[in-house]
Amino acid sequence: MASGSGDSAGGRGESTEVNSKWLDAHYDPMANIHTFSACLALADLHGDGEYKLVVGDLGPNGRQPRLKVLKGPSVLTESPLPALPSAAAAFLMEPHEPRTPALALASGPCVYVYKNLRPYFKFSLPPLPPNPLEQDLWNQAKEDRIDPLTLKEMLEGIREKAEVPLSSQSLRFLHLELGEMEAFVAQHKTQPIRRQTVITTMTILKKNLADEDAVSCLVLGTENRELLVLDPEAFTVLTKMNLPSVPVFLEASGQFDVEFWLTAACRDGNIYILRRDCKRPKYCIELSAQPVGLVRIHKTLVVGSTQDMLHSFTHKGKKLWTVPMPAPILTMSLLEQRSRGLQAVMAGLANGEMRIYRDKALLNIIRTPDAVTSLCFGRYGREDNTLIMTTRGGGLVIKILKRTAVFGEGAGEAGPPPAQALRLNVPRKTRLYVDQTLREREAGTAMHRAFQMDLYLLRLRAARAYVQALESSLNPVSATLREPLKLHAVVQGLGPTFKLTLHLQNTSAVRPAMGLLVSCLYNESLYALPRAFFKVPMLVPGLSYPLETFVECLSDKGISDVIKVLVLREGQSAPLLSAHINMPVSEGLVAA
Amino acid sequence: MAEEKAPTTTQFPGTIEPQKPRLKKAPEFPILEKQNWLIHLHYIRKDYAACKALIKEQLQETQGLCEYAIYVQALMYRLEGNIQESLELFQSCAVLNPQNADNLKQVARSLFLLGKHKAAIEVYNEAAKLNQKDWEICHNLGVCYMYLKHFNKAKDQLHSALQLNRHDLTYIMLGKIHLLEGELEKAIDIYKKAVEFSPENTELLTTLGLLYLQLGIYQKAFEHLGNALTFDPTNYKAILAAGSMMQTHGDFDVALTKYRVMAYSVPESPPLWNNIGMCFFGKKKYVAAISCLKRANYLAPFDWKILYNLGLVHLTMQQYASAFHFLSAAINFQPKMGELYMLLAIALTNLDDSENASRAYAEAVALDQSNPLVNLNYAVLLYNQGEKKKALAQYQEMEKKVTLLKGSSSLDFDPEMVEMAQKMGAALQVGEALVWTKPVKDLKSRHRTTSANKSSNLQQPLGSNQALGQAMSSAAGFGKTTQLPAEQDGYNHSRLASCDDSL
Repeated sequence: MASGSGDSAGGRGESTEVNSKWLDAHYDPMANIHTFSACLALADLHGDGEYKLVVGDLGPNGRQPRLKVLKGPSVLTESPLPALPSAAAAFLMEPHEPRTPALALASGPCVYVYKNLRPYFKFSLPPLPPNPLEQDLWNQAKEDRIDPLTLKEMLEGIREKAEVPLSSQSLRFLHLELGEMEAFVAQHKTQPIRRQTVITTMTILKKNLADEDAVSCLVLGTENRELLVLDPEAFTVLTKMNLPSVPVFLEASGQFDVEFWLTAACRDGNIYILRRDCKRPKYCIELSAQPVGLVRIHKTLVVGSTQDMLHSFTHKGKKLWTVPMPAPILTMSLLEQRSRGLQAVMAGLANGEMRIYRDKALLNIIRTPDAVTSLCFGRYGREDNTLIMTTRGGGLVIKILKRTAVFGEGAGEAGPPPAQALRLNVPRKTRLYVDQTLREREAGTAMHRAFQMDLYLLRLRAARAYVQALESSLNPVSATLREPLKLHAVVQGLGPTFKLTLHLQNTSAVRPAMGLLVSCLYNESLYALPRAFFKVPMLVPGLSYPLETFVECLSDKGISDVIKVLVLREGQSAPLLSAHINMPVSEGLVAA
Repeated sequence: MAEEKAPTTTQFPGTIEPQKPRLKKAPEFPILEKQNWLIHLHYIRKDYAACKALIKEQLQETQGLCEYAIYVQALMYRLEGNIQESLELFQSCAVLNPQNADNLKQVARSLFLLGKHKAAIEVYNEAAKLNQKDWEICHNLGVCYMYLKHFNKAKDQLHSALQLNRHDLTYIMLGKIHLLEGELEKAIDIYKKAVEFSPENTELLTTLGLLYLQLGIYQKAFEHLGNALTFDPTNYKAILAAGSMMQTHGDFDVALTKYRVMAYSVPESPPLWNNIGMCFFGKKKYVAAISCLKRANYLAPFDWKILYNLGLVHLTMQQYASAFHFLSAAINFQPKMGELYMLLAIALTNLDDSENASRAYAEAVALDQSNPLVNLNYAVLLYNQGEKKKALAQYQEMEKKVTLLKGSSSLDFDPEMVEMAQKMGAALQVGEALVWTKPVKDLKSRHRTTSANKSSNLQQPLGSNQALGQAMSSAAGFGKTTQLPAEQDGYNHSRLASCDDSL
């Protein structure tokens, strides 16, 4: 299906070699960059007009977080980070010349700010106020006025009801065994209760001017469901807003001093829209799936969801349109081509496609050798429209949009599906079929009569055979009331030696069967059985008894015969039941 | 904060190790939620392997205290189908943080998936205490009540969910409940509102279209199905339903082009091949019709509707022996349908087995409630056998059904059937001015004006059937013509059957 739809889009959206809108600038499958779109930023870090790519790299398996700065295809500088970066952004701190942007990197509870690629400032989130009751309890413990067991009970009580959650110290304490408590209290009672949170997402918001290069504030989303706006110079918290859930993606528009909108896609699958002067979300969009990307274009929001859909909403939360994707969306970003005033959404999919949409219309598909996990579009080096993609395997792809390229209107998938033009695969009928049809028309009645006749005869013969089998105990289920038995035989092996397993079951409700014998009748020139006649142990009702015997095939001519197995009662010559086993051809000897 | 500037510049990322304990005897605790964001990012990108590795690491570091890591682990277990394990993990999340309604919601969801609806309802009620205004809780409570067959409670909950926040899913569930209660009209109202709310949801549009189809409001049905097809031209249900409607109107070529889309995406659908087969039948391409129907039969050997159609097509092809087999197979699967016995009787009549034919007719007459054709055909057979009295009884039975049908609906009678009945009436010497002539007069004037054409049309099939007529006994004229209306009706029926199928 995926390949089918891909082919169908071939003529319209896809970039082929010849008429591609993109120049392949660089592809390095071994670039070893593992990151998210949020950790990519393009900025003129040195103020020399040469834009660099800043990558907050998680490292392979997220073990070696590094800050990488790329210039052209090569890494300019690389420095290790203390913790995994959650977001990177370039922003202008002050309005004075030279207007070189600073670089902010959110990691754990801190934002590291670099200027001229040199560490400049570290902002830590203010610690959260601890629960006063908890504080009180630990103070009592410090003065040894409370024993660990009571402490535990009281803390339990706080956890059940309190609005403010417990610190990790208390939580850890609650999980201890009785014996370990004393030591834990003794070790930790002097420490102050601390609650710290971490930054989950970060974006930038213009301070008071709408210009391209205006001073911007950092907007942070934290794990304890808050949004913070920081002052760009003093790094104080300008405003604090609360969210009902933890923010995952953040978008900002407007200016902080005038009017602004913050859009936060959260972990509860909802998108909250906040405005200046309100501490709580103004609008809420319920997606009923997790958002995987959030892009704002003017006043519309485009959200990718885990249901492989792109949804669009107005900035007031009204649903506009929905477009299904052929594969799960991995990441999304904004494509802004200023020279042509184009703003579009880019979505990297798990099937190795990168799709570009303007509203509902598909503009372009780029196929990448590996699934794209992060995307960034903008000025890189001295080229205005550069697309940077990193792939799941750590590869780096840089493409440049051709200056002549125009994304045509109506390039999307419109009109009837291509399958409509395909011919129906109607099965053909042969000449023979037609002849038979004609014959049936001519002699239908005779055919019908003959058939009915044969059917009656067949039924009659079946009934006769059945009666005969019942009378002579030829069937593998014994119907006598005294000895209800069931036999089922399995032949294993390729030959010349086979293993014959007889599963004998007593189907009576209570009575065990005793004194039974099994005898095998066979062609002695073809087969040899070491045990052709043996006694059956007592059969307890309900259980299936496997009785095994070996059969050796003596012929090498590839012929086989039937072995008859009879189950007899001691002292009676008429068998209780019998089975005819069609032996397989001995493959061992035939092959040899 | 500003005064911090100077000192912090010295101890910077590359240079310091923040984990280094300052107080030797009391190591600092790692922040429990340190990597929640990363876990979440891996989870939403469906990179479950990386997510699991990270969760394991995180749980080791925090000694199993990281609530969100456990939460996501449980979500992944559930996706993998290990619902019991996920339930246990969600429960431990609820222990770690009893204030969080999400944990309770997920516990309830797992219980729901395990089929423990009552337990799920209890937990949802708990969660509702923590978070009053949650659409999801109300919706899921409604669904739980639906499965417990407390429809009124379910409807209440779903309505309150709609008041909190409107979602397509809630509308669908509410509609389903109305359908389960057999309230077609109310279900349609709900779906109408739903379509107003989200006009691009093809599932809603298709369901609404099919409901209209059930009620016989073809115009609206077609409108909604058409809308569904504009948004998703490959929608399976909509194509099948719209196609079968086109077939009813005789637009076989248009229906076939629609089916081509489906034949590409769902090539192994039995109703699809059944409908394609009946399209060819309508276009009088009988061999192709048989090929397609046989494929449908191969794909769904136990579907009596396909067997019915096969029987019908073979009757038309005068392959009575084959028709007999398909029809008797259909009767084995659906022993309660008069029309099937009637077709079987026609096949038997043509196979010169009038004894069994009249037995089949007797069965058909006993089972059928409203189809006058059954009685008419039986009357013809009886007449041919010379049993005039019985034939008259059947004829009168037919007249009753005709008057009933006329009263209840404005359905047109097949002109061939009318003509046949008139001939029969004449043969039985029943007064022409009796019941039967009335409906003929009452039939739409269209019939009258085109009656000349009709009769000429009729002549042709009659002529082509002559070969068969020879094989029949004395009153061949009657025998011949009866099959045509019979088949015609069967054909209509088969198309209706195919509509039902797609529902």
